[in-house]
Amino acid sequence: MTALAVSARRRRTRSLPATPRYVAGRLAQAVLALFGVTTIVFFALRLSGDPARLLVPEGATAADIQRVRDQLGLSDSLWHQYVSFLGNAVHGDLGYSYVQNRPATALIAERLPYTANLAVAALILSVVFGVTIGVITALKRGKWQERVLMPIVLIGQAMPAFWTGLLLVLVFSVALRWLPSTGYDGPASLVLPAITLASLSAAAIARVTRGAVLEQLSQDYVRTAKAKGASTTRLVLRHLARNSTIPVLTVAALELANLLGGAVVTEVIFAWPGIGQLTIQSVSARDFPVVQAIVLFASAVYIVVNLLTDLLYGVIDRRVTAGGRGGAA
Amino acid sequence: MKRLVVPSAVLVLYVLAAVFAPLIAPYDPDKVTLAQRLLPPGAHHWLGTDALGRDVLSRVIYGTQVSLLVAIGAVVVGGVVGVALGVIAGWRGGWLGAVIMRLVDIVLSVPFFLLAILVVAVLGPSLVNVVVCLALVRWPRYARVAHSATLQARGRGFVRAATATGAPGWWIVLRHVLPEVLPVSIVVATLELGLMVIYEASLSFLGLGVQPPTASWGSILSDGQQYIASAWWLATFPGIALFVLVLAVNLLGDAARDRLDPAKRADVARPRLLRRMARQTA
Amino acid sequence: MNRRRFRAALLLAAALALGAASCGIEPASAGRGSDTITIDTANYPSTLDPGKQYDTDTYSVYRNIFDQLLRRDPKTNAIKGWLATSWHQTDPLTWRFTMRKGVTFSDGSPLTAEDASYSISRILDKKFGSQQYANFSVIDKATADGGDLVVHTSVPSPTLLSYLTTLSVVPKAYVERVGNKQFAVKPIGSGPYVLQSATAGSEVVLTANPKWWGPAPQIRTAVFRAVPNVASRVADLQSRKVDLATTLTPDAADQIRRDPTLQILSTPTERVAYLAYNTIKGGPTNDPRVRKAIAEAIDYNAIIQNLERGYAKPINSMATPLAFGYDKSLPGDRHDPADAKRLLQQANAVGATLVMATSPSFDPQVVQAIQGDLAAVGLRVEIQNSDQATYLKKVQDPSHDWGSIRFGRWSCSCQDSDGVIYPLFHTGEIWSSYSNPDFDKIVEQARETIDPAKRISLYRQAFELLGKDRPGIGLFQAYAVYGANSRLIWTPDASESLFLDQMKVS
Repeated sequence: MTALAVSARRRRTRSLPATPRYVAGRLAQAVLALFGVTTIVFFALRLSGDPARLLVPEGATAADIQRVRDQLGLSDSLWHQYVSFLGNAVHGDLGYSYVQNRPATALIAERLPYTANLAVAALILSVVFGVTIGVITALKRGKWQERVLMPIVLIGQAMPAFWTGLLLVLVFSVALRWLPSTGYDGPASLVLPAITLASLSAAAIARVTRGAVLEQLSQDYVRTAKAKGASTTRLVLRHLARNSTIPVLTVAALELANLLGGAVVTEVIFAWPGIGQLTIQSVSARDFPVVQAIVLFASAVYIVVNLLTDLLYGVIDRRVTAGGRGGAA
Repeated sequence: MKRLVVPSAVLVLYVLAAVFAPLIAPYDPDKVTLAQRLLPPGAHHWLGTDALGRDVLSRVIYGTQVSLLVAIGAVVVGGVVGVALGVIAGWRGGWLGAVIMRLVDIVLSVPFFLLAILVVAVLGPSLVNVVVCLALVRWPRYARVAHSATLQARGRGFVRAATATGAPGWWIVLRHVLPEVLPVSIVVATLELGLMVIYEASLSFLGLGVQPPTASWGSILSDGQQYIASAWWLATFPGIALFVLVLAVNLLGDAARDRLDPAKRADVARPRLLRRMARQTA
Repeated sequence: MNRRRFRAALLLAAALALGAASCGIEPASAGRGSDTITIDTANYPSTLDPGKQYDTDTYSVYRNIFDQLLRRDPKTNAIKGWLATSWHQTDPLTWRFTMRKGVTFSDGSPLTAEDASYSISRILDKKFGSQQYANFSVIDKATADGGDLVVHTSVPSPTLLSYLTTLSVVPKAYVERVGNKQFAVKPIGSGPYVLQSATAGSEVVLTANPKWWGPAPQIRTAVFRAVPNVASRVADLQSRKVDLATTLTPDAADQIRRDPTLQILSTPTERVAYLAYNTIKGGPTNDPRVRKAIAEAIDYNAIIQNLERGYAKPINSMATPLAFGYDKSLPGDRHDPADAKRLLQQANAVGATLVMATSPSFDPQVVQAIQGDLAAVGLRVEIQNSDQATYLKKVQDPSHDWGSIRFGRWSCSCQDSDGVIYPLFHTGEIWSSYSNPDFDKIVEQARETIDPAKRISLYRQAFELLGKDRPGIGLFQAYAVYGANSRLIWTPDASESLFLDQMKVS
């Protein structure tokens, strides 16, 4: 039984009574945050451009634009629009896309499987590589392995996604013809975009893993185990893996939330029909209902993931519930 | 100590290049010469020319100014705002803390591209607004770290003791809490610095970055993306400049973490540290 | 305890991975035969309802599903019959079209004049909210009379036929039965192709319509893919993933020409690249001498040869030679930096700063080349790049507070001078930051003159006036540039349409 596990169990039993109230409080806050983000986006969007101007043909007149505005309900007062938006949103109606004339929620539902696939594939890649590199660099701290591996991870992080993505396409699609360049033609199509995305988050995961493992290595039980003659592999698998899981899971969860919100640049490069492309298209077209629906969706995913990780901490560290009166970040 | 020498030297070199760009750069970075476009690296143009016949070397050197300015500006503005709000949220707690931390959630949950386009649309495009935009997107990272570090400091013996003696809150914050919060915030800042250059590149890719013809590594990179196959030098050299900076800053960040992190002190709970590290990097 | 949690986490991760992988996304493009063609366009079509949007990537798809009332000859650009076989005017306001016999929609129902008049009426219906309303607003009403379509306009309209080449005829009975929303998803038309499948945001697949009245097209299946990034479209061509890619940059075209298995297809379009001045609140550009100096400072040939790589043609005015009313005898502007400097000195504008409004969708290289040309004669240009929506809001605002010059590309899809200079320069139009009562009078009159000879002389006056006063300058006529596999045999046309029935593969 490790030190961390012991303390976790002790704290968990103590913090249990506070948990339901804490969760209820956090849920209420989550709903308020969702409300806040939609409100801000609702008004900021309407300050930033006029969808009607993008919908009319080039020779249109001011009257034509006004017609479109009337038709979309944009001529009503902002307050009126906001109230009717909220009223409909409560009933699950987030409005119709101005451009595609279909329910905004349906558009997101169509795109979600693509983004989810890509996000999960990218996450698996970055966890596998990030954790491996993190463990190796921690165990071989200051040795050549660290000096070689860390820069490799950092290259991924120092290259913008559009640059990594196109380079991969040039090598693996154009020159070698091994993998499809764009679009979705079966699982092989996932490889290049997933690597592109993973190269960005693997570095974050490697860094956290390295930190967590280093932290564990300095603990007494590891020294004891080492003194007893445990092999490094056994040490890593038996003790370090378990005790370093929490921080790695945290980063992974947050990365997943970010990825589910849509990877704009990667989706554009690979013509991947996910949420990211829908975001850029609907923001560019000022397709307000779709943008609002995306923001609501992305915020909900983020807040839920965040809440879950916080609760996980709450289980481990009772001071989250006891100390931070307003709840922790 | 040795770990600090090389990365520090790199940073000094970059700052010098930025400051003395007009003296070092062989050509006017904005001079358009259409007849000499897309020349490969050679005797006259060491790093070649871009699609408008501008000298890539000169643009990379001048680009250092903008890229460092944007990166440092975004880190300083985002860091100061984030740390201040994080400390207030952690120290005061209650409804104010909750409001601030939910605001953190809100900003983190809005897609970056959407925020960027809204900021640029409302404020208008300019170098300053790129900084504002990045700071606006990134301050929550600092706020989170500062918040948890403040919560932690609040629980510590000497802060409780100071509170018990009736010292004013602001004094305790300045005297006891900030020294606990700053080291870890500085670590986050060093990690953010490299990332900001990438973000600026993404903004340029979307056409929302610094205004042409101003050179920044990001704008050179994104201008070069459609020439990756035909004119490799366009994106490669700013890419290398960026990579070396990110590498140096990361090495410095690691060294700074080892040196400054209160984890090295005895009375810190382990889970807290792990959690904070996880947040910093996410 | 901890171990159990770790296992649970692993299980959860595995479940997530499997769940997502089985989340039912299927490859849309089936194995392609020799009569299948795959096409990359920049955007996914906004709609498949031809009564809604009319933008290039949208109509490129749906114009294959529907037949148009009239078409343009791909070689001569002359208007020719299509669903309407002949037409005549019964009075200045009334047009009578004889409909082709024996045409059926793909569901077997006959296409009649009733369907044609309905196709117009629904665009004019305010409740329907067609984005094309402005193109057809001159029409008072459209009715079916016997086998004929009768169109009444509110004023004499010389451009009516031009706009009717953009009109796709929809099946009235089907649309009314399924409703507009369903129609946009499952369209039925009389055209050479029918919709096979559509994957939102990604692909539309069309197959040949066995019931089509025209000669059976050689291409049986066409896959339209949405690939927004130019470099990715080029990679698709190079990796043989697609046969045809639209909207390439001239530099990308250069790259493709180096590949012996690929070819570049291009054609001049009615799209004009132009600079417009703010002559009302433009500061220095309120002075016609500064406007002339700017026109002389720009090195047109360098832009056309170096940046456009020859995929552009010099022009002498705001219109292209494809537009009705283009006058090739006009002198046009010449690159003369010395005279530009002299003019700027006269106007006391040396060293002035001009704000140039633009958006990322307009070629940034041309914008910066112009900036460089103007710097060479002593004008500082500050570029203000904002995304399209913001740009439109700024430029079209009646306050005229958008800067001094803007760069843009213009096409009215009507091949007529009226569709260019009227919206750009007539007083009070949203694009116009210019006001000249003489000019207004001429273009108002030309807009309602049917007699071609009389219209031509009116446009000659209008262009002469614009050449003198210069509220804007035409930089070049832009080309449509396509990259294609060398097995594709196709001649692109000026309307930037992708009519599959005109394509062949070898």
